[in-house]
Amino acid sequence: MPYPEQMVAPMRAELTSAGVQELRTPSEVDSFFAQNSGTSLVLVNSVCGCAAGSARPALKSAIGENTRPDRVATVFAGQDLEATARARELFGDVPPSSPSMALIKDGELVHFVPRHMIEGRDALSIATDLTAAFAEYC
Amino acid sequence: MGTFHDTADPLHGITVVAESGDTVYVGRCHARENGTILLLDVDQHTNGEDGKTNQEYLTRAARFGVWKKHEKLTLKADDVSGLSPLSDHFPRPGAKTAPVVETVAAAAPAPVAKELATLTADPVEAPVQLTEAAATEVRRLLETEEREGQGLRLAVSGGGCSGLVYKVEFDTQNEGDIVVSCEGFDVLMDRKSTIYLRGVTLDHQQGLSGRGFQFNNPNASNTCGCGESFSV
Repeated sequence: MPYPEQMVAPMRAELTSAGVQELRTPSEVDSFFAQNSGTSLVLVNSVCGCAAGSARPALKSAIGENTRPDRVATVFAGQDLEATARARELFGDVPPSSPSMALIKDGELVHFVPRHMIEGRDALSIATDLTAAFAEYC
Repeated sequence: MGTFHDTADPLHGITVVAESGDTVYVGRCHARENGTILLLDVDQHTNGEDGKTNQEYLTRAARFGVWKKHEKLTLKADDVSGLSPLSDHFPRPGAKTAPVVETVAAAAPAPVAKELATLTADPVEAPVQLTEAAATEVRRLLETEEREGQGLRLAVSGGGCSGLVYKVEFDTQNEGDIVVSCEGFDVLMDRKSTIYLRGVTLDHQQGLSGRGFQFNNPNASNTCGCGESFSV
């Protein structure tokens, strides 16, 4: 069951205020991925304070670097259910977890950060890993 | 108690691998109490199942996660020979090949006093301590990421499971910051955050849980299971 919107609004705003495009419907997901070339990063957001509380600032830090994906978007697991399900279809045979991050290049998933590589880690360490992935694929 | 968490188990919320005989279980550790281990969203694999060894299964699981077979699963602690974070099984070039494994039955090691890095500042204006391990990791990141002119910013803001969350990031100095020199780099803090950072020690760990930077706050009355969030 989704949390009250007023509770998750700051978690959405933390990303959108950094220029991350929020995808709230399946059609918005499809539109985002319609452009198949280049690199895209999608953060599957979550209300989990322990993991998403690090994932969001890590993403913001990593996309502030010069080498970064062409486009960055987010879907909110547990809140925008249909949009999240649609995005996960595009990740291929990857088990769902949230928060998580998917880096897609020319329509193919090239790097995935599942929840267990986020939980228990600080934002700086996660951002460092993301930056390394950006350097390799972006 | 945290808002969402009713346990301070350091593995609470961490996706772990529990080994029991020929079978490995992968799930999010919820609690360890009364001789049991409660896992959530659990998958399991027996050596040779689907033509894969447990190691092959864990290597893929560590990269992408698992498809759960059980919402909840309770294991007897006596039946579990090892418990380790799934992330320790992530294949990294040049990294250790054997995961760090906690023997469940082993007694908890006595806490070891950590060597502290030397901070240069008026004691009144230097509310935090860094362990040598934390200082070494900061210097490594500063060098590898070419962050010339930046320092380590420590801050506290509202949020997380227990009301307040720590922030650690590289940043340039802002007007009004308290700046503490630490053997090769500066530690930057806004004055509001120092209210909550006083007495805190920043550590860096590579161990079983709490990998990465870790704040140790003797003033925190409640701490989230992962240590990211606290209240005073």
